[in-house]
Amino acid sequence: MKSLLLRLTLFLCAGLAATTAADSELVVAFLPKSKGNAYFISCKAGADKAAKELGVELLFDGPTDSNAAKQNEIVENWITLGVDVIAVAAENKEGISTALRKAQKAGIKVVTYDADSMPDARSFFVNQATPQGIGYGLMDEAARLLNSEGEFAIITASLTAANQREWQKHIEARLAEKYPKMKLVAVRPCDDLKDKAQSEATALMSANPNLKLILAICSPGVPGAAEAVKQAGKTGKVKVIGLGLPNENKRYVHEGVTDSVILWNTGDLGYLTIYAGVALAKGELKPDAKTFKAGKLGSFEIIGDNIMLGKPFIFNKGNIDQFDF
Amino acid sequence: MSTDKPAWKARLLSHEMLLLYVLIAEWLFFYFTGTTTNRRGVIVGFGTIDRQFDILRHSCEIGLLALALTPVILTAGIDLSVGSLLGLCAILFGKFWHDAGLSIPVAAVLAIGCGAIGGAINAALITTLRLPPLIVTLGTYSLFRGLAEAITHGAVTYTDFPESFLFLGQERWLGLPTQAWLFLLVAVAVWLLVHRTTFGRSFRTIGFSPGGARYAGLPVNRRLALVYVLAGIISALAAIIYTARLGQAKADAGTGYELFAITAVVLGGTSIFGGSGSVHGTLLGVAAIAVLKNGLACLPVVMRMNAAEEMSGLLTGALLLLALTGSVLPKILSTLRPRRQPA
Repeated sequence: MKSLLLRLTLFLCAGLAATTAADSELVVAFLPKSKGNAYFISCKAGADKAAKELGVELLFDGPTDSNAAKQNEIVENWITLGVDVIAVAAENKEGISTALRKAQKAGIKVVTYDADSMPDARSFFVNQATPQGIGYGLMDEAARLLNSEGEFAIITASLTAANQREWQKHIEARLAEKYPKMKLVAVRPCDDLKDKAQSEATALMSANPNLKLILAICSPGVPGAAEAVKQAGKTGKVKVIGLGLPNENKRYVHEGVTDSVILWNTGDLGYLTIYAGVALAKGELKPDAKTFKAGKLGSFEIIGDNIMLGKPFIFNKGNIDQFDF
Repeated sequence: MSTDKPAWKARLLSHEMLLLYVLIAEWLFFYFTGTTTNRRGVIVGFGTIDRQFDILRHSCEIGLLALALTPVILTAGIDLSVGSLLGLCAILFGKFWHDAGLSIPVAAVLAIGCGAIGGAINAALITTLRLPPLIVTLGTYSLFRGLAEAITHGAVTYTDFPESFLFLGQERWLGLPTQAWLFLLVAVAVWLLVHRTTFGRSFRTIGFSPGGARYAGLPVNRRLALVYVLAGIISALAAIIYTARLGQAKADAGTGYELFAITAVVLGGTSIFGGSGSVHGTLLGVAAIAVLKNGLACLPVVMRMNAAEEMSGLLTGALLLLALTGSVLPKILSTLRPRRQPA
């Protein structure tokens, strides 16, 4: 009995070992901030497409919540697995950089996307849009809806995430520069959770009776805030806009709760990231390159060590149904 | 039942030994299935020495918390606040160093002092108000985490620690990951305390019957205070190691670690009702969970499913339930079996 079990185990092991030894294609590992987030799932859809076109194997893993420590552990797992490329959306800039430097030392090519690490811990950052472009775009859209007058509040993912802080900074800069009659009354974190965004939005409305608009700068925040406004019966009185995914917000946009959703094409972001990572591993993408051609998407500009995806895009009642992600 | 078996046989079938067999089986399984050669011809995965050191490195913080919890659980208590206290001490350590401009060793000593105070708060509420440890530490679980978030406004992350400090968390010293030496030191100290001193015996006595312990003249409150303060100190130590490993101190440090630590203690054979258990059992429990978690992450099959984390949660749960069932099964069987007539 025991020897049979042993033989069975050995057989199983041999089988598993054989399946992996046969692989000789490039392995690209793709790390989101949290893997249940629809934003990153839509990035992955583009990444999958690129991996298929390039004939590389794509590994996708991430924390179930936005957890910096877990991101490090996953990267360390990938280092010992000896993947060829690691693409990371950093939850914490300095925290992840320790692990990424270790990966580079082990000969792995590192690119970041969505949220950057320290510059010395990766070769390129695939920049979805400049923080200024996003911050100004959001603030201008908010001002357009409120006729440049009234109180508004921001719901962010976490007060620590580097990209969220950058966006917020540019929103505030634009506000100070162009809209003296508008007032930012509060900034609340929602931990990238829709439920929490909803309860924060409810609290914001009761604490600030003159609130005219909620601006959410993380994707779960927009439908969360919209749900809160709808349940409070304040549709139209408190407007909702933010950075988000079209699919999550379609219902609210059609109901008139949410006015506009601003974002870049997330699928393209994943696609470009994988193309850049693979080109780097194959030695086709050099540190001093000025442009980069990514498959079907064509050519992208490189500024310094940032590969630029392009301008943000505004989804509203008129065009949102044309998009499915 | 065990009396009619030779002592060596009983020992070989003890909970700790069974756990050791499971650990060895796990390790061998992952060694043969989780080690591969990558396309650059380098051997990668579970079987590499780097991976083994990573496992040790990743286990240190939860291992320390499990060591802190073993005496607590032996007294039939529980401390749910250790993970939150880790977070609080990490933040305080960062604050002492970065904002107050103290040197790393001074900041570390102060942070450990704060850990002791945190433990003392638990101890005071439990011994003077006679509140159940579960409720008290559930309260401090939120309190400590809340304090950490309040101090940093949820926004500040302390980074840029000096290389000499990061050495503790990221490099090797005398062949082992640096923090492993500290972990071993604490493990030996706690083992000696629990198994070689009258303190240790009194923990078990209190866990077995607190009333009886009082009647027997044991200073129950003082002993209880000792275990909770000790838990606080060890949590603070874990906080410093955590900070050194990640190079950052943030308010969410160690979230959920208390549950992993409790799992390791219970898996290691310590009764959640107190009175029985061992430190070496806890260490085996920590190792069994760490090997499972890290081994799974090396399995190509699991990697392709992108489900290492989910699988490890699932299998850790299954392992725990199996161990608990296994430990009560002989008792149930012996009650079902007709008594043997004395010869």
